[in-house]
Amino acid sequence: MGLLDALQRVSQSPTNPHAPAAPRTFDVADLYRGPLAAPAEGGAAQGPPLDEKLRQAYFWIVNTAIISPHYDVELNDGPPQSFSLGDSRSRLTLPSAQSYSSFALLPLLTFATRRKCLFVGGPGRGKTASAVLMGVLAGYPVREVRRAMQHGHPQMTVADLLGNPLPADLVAAQKIEDIRIAWRSWLGMRVKVIDEYNRIPTRTQSALLTVMGDNYAEILNHVFECPEAAWYLTANDETGGGTYPVIEALRDRIDVIVQALSFNPRFLADLLARIEADVRPEEVVPRQIVFTEQEVDRLQEEARAVPIPADVGRRLEFFASQFEFCEVAAEQWEYKTKDTARLSGVEWNAVTALETGRDRLKDLGCQSRNGLSVRVLMALLVYAKALAYFRGNRVVELEDVRQVLPFVLHDKLLPDLDAPFFAAAGNEVFRTDRVGWLRRVFDLSCADYERLNLDRDDPVAQLTAEFRRGLGGVTEAQTRSRLVAIERLVAEWSRGRKLYGHLYDDLLVLKYLHQRYTNYLRWLKTQ
Amino acid sequence: MSAALAPAFAGFLRNARDELNARFAEARRLHPDLDGDGFAAFLRGTVDPLVRAVEAAAPAGAADVARAGYALGLELVGQGLSGPAGREPLIEEGWREVGTAAPALLAAAPERVLSAIGNAVHHLAATPGARPAEWIAAMRALAPRCADPELFLTLGAVAAWRAGMAHFRAGALAAADRLPPGLALAAVRAPSDDWPAVRERLAADPWFDPAAATPAAGLRVVARAGAFRGFGGLFVEPPTAAAAGGHFLVRSGEECWLLTADAFGATFHRATAAERADTRLASVPPGVTASGTTLSAGGARLELPELGEIGGVAANGSTLALTSPFSHVVVIVALA
Repeated sequence: MGLLDALQRVSQSPTNPHAPAAPRTFDVADLYRGPLAAPAEGGAAQGPPLDEKLRQAYFWIVNTAIISPHYDVELNDGPPQSFSLGDSRSRLTLPSAQSYSSFALLPLLTFATRRKCLFVGGPGRGKTASAVLMGVLAGYPVREVRRAMQHGHPQMTVADLLGNPLPADLVAAQKIEDIRIAWRSWLGMRVKVIDEYNRIPTRTQSALLTVMGDNYAEILNHVFECPEAAWYLTANDETGGGTYPVIEALRDRIDVIVQALSFNPRFLADLLARIEADVRPEEVVPRQIVFTEQEVDRLQEEARAVPIPADVGRRLEFFASQFEFCEVAAEQWEYKTKDTARLSGVEWNAVTALETGRDRLKDLGCQSRNGLSVRVLMALLVYAKALAYFRGNRVVELEDVRQVLPFVLHDKLLPDLDAPFFAAAGNEVFRTDRVGWLRRVFDLSCADYERLNLDRDDPVAQLTAEFRRGLGGVTEAQTRSRLVAIERLVAEWSRGRKLYGHLYDDLLVLKYLHQRYTNYLRWLKTQ
Repeated sequence: MSAALAPAFAGFLRNARDELNARFAEARRLHPDLDGDGFAAFLRGTVDPLVRAVEAAAPAGAADVARAGYALGLELVGQGLSGPAGREPLIEEGWREVGTAAPALLAAAPERVLSAIGNAVHHLAATPGARPAEWIAAMRALAPRCADPELFLTLGAVAAWRAGMAHFRAGALAAADRLPPGLALAAVRAPSDDWPAVRERLAADPWFDPAAATPAAGLRVVARAGAFRGFGGLFVEPPTAAAAGGHFLVRSGEECWLLTADAFGATFHRATAAERADTRLASVPPGVTASGTTLSAGGARLELPELGEIGGVAANGSTLALTSPFSHVVVIVALA
């Protein structure tokens, strides 16, 4: 290039690239958006997006229906203001981002995902009223929701719950198929409310379990298929200490537990105004926040479609793998679980007394008496997606998991209150604060995950990813090489490392991979 | 003594007394300033004429209109938009004028029609440069020609464009295609009976006014937009303009606005963060020069003494936006 050419060369455009602003488009439909909410017309397409509608419903509930909401689901988009108060230096946090009231949020997420929510708390705190509100949001008249509500009481029979055979048919029928059943109307509803479920007799609880678990009711060989529904149950005592003990399978079907917190007397004037005006929120629910059946179907689909990124999923896996492992429960590797110990009937204290070697304060698994079931993990994933969807996020964030986790695991991960963790300074409060404990243990698990640098150095994840790419075309030499890699890793881990829950699960995965490759190698040899 | 309410309205208020009282109490909880007397005046002055009109034309729909008027009125009066001390009296005028002119439509979908009128008037009134009274007049004249509420809403969109909402141009043109040709022509006030021809010219030339007896052409001032904030305008200091897509970005002090303009009006909209950050300069078409108060283009000259001195020229297809360091007005000039 000559000097003249060089001097005449102009930098190629753009020299300072900016993303040009996209030309503004104006929607003529904006003309009809304003202070007056227009009724939905011609289908849901004309209304706001469903996540927006769900948020509108939430804000209507916390701003209008519930007089003194507590913002206990704290979210931050910057450092929050935090203050220490009182002799115990209790921490009060003023969140920097939109935060939520679990008592309104979790029932709404239950509504959107059609799961099962238990309200707990003392009498007169709005548990039943909130459940009725959810029925109204589903489009049922208040009167119908109230009539369909099942009130638990000690004399409640299966017939009270499900329905009766018609008396005339009982007399005239020649065979059982001829007996018609008068099913109770609540069975067909998309929002089901069971008030004081811990007062239902055990036998009737079993009938309820069939409806809750399998979505059908059966009387005299006749079956009623129930529609998919959101369930709301209330109990004054979450541990089931009502008139009858709650059967474990029934408790296990409940996906989230929310506590009705106390009324703040500073809001007494609002309460008085409501009494004087004789207004009940459930009777004046705005039409704009009432969902049609199709809308709830779409809500469920859209919430389910929110993806969980791999790094968030891995942290959840790591957390979940902390709790099931019990080294002294069995000789064989696969049975070294708390479930094995529980099934044996041996006293829990006797099992924990055998534990040696591990740092019981550091090991998160020592804080619980059980592990997490598949049902619990599924509920956790569903609610994390639902919260992300509710917040208008495109993917699930770790914070979504962190916030729903205490409500999903509330009654599922049982703390071992004799564990050293609960005796450590500052941790005594977690003996009574289940939500705080679960959030803390998740935070500790995530910190441990970071400390182990598992995002960057996770050989099991690499081996699993390699296996998931498929065995097609993998040669004998490659298979042997992978088997050696697995054996080397196990050998390395066997050299003096303490066993913790996450290592136990990783070793089970390595055994699984080893077995799959061994079988493949065996097959290859026959080809 | 005030006149008696329409019998249908009085009957409705009597029969649904408990429910209506509960709704009022709930609304007062949301809007503590909601005044009972003010709301009663609203019902008497605005809802009653609507119920009366519907009672005469479609008696079966009167109660539904009363119920919708009551519920939506609570919102309007509660938010301080309507009622004796309301900030936006044109909403009530819109309800009365348009609603009483089309009682059959009102009876068919009272809540939808009333909320559409209320929101549209509110939207027009809140948009600097738009003419809500003109929209009300157009809708009062043309709403009786709408067979159903859907057509009414479509007509409303076209009428809003005609009443100065220049930014609705593309959407309104598409909406006009869904109207019967005669109604579309009436909505844009075209004396012609050839909608395809009128539509083609509207789409091609933003400065074509179908109502004009003789089409204007050549270099000419087509609009003056904006004013000093002290005189009720938007600008705290003389603005500058730059092209932005099919529109203009107008900056004044720390503020930035998107200006859309065509033959029916010019409207300002707060610029988005992305638009603010877009610092590309407009390229002025060849042959366009400005000197002092004189604008020259293609051999034509235009004197603009009102600007004192032309400080900036932004070009956008067939349109120029002229600004001056001595004026708070943006002068819009059509090139052809």
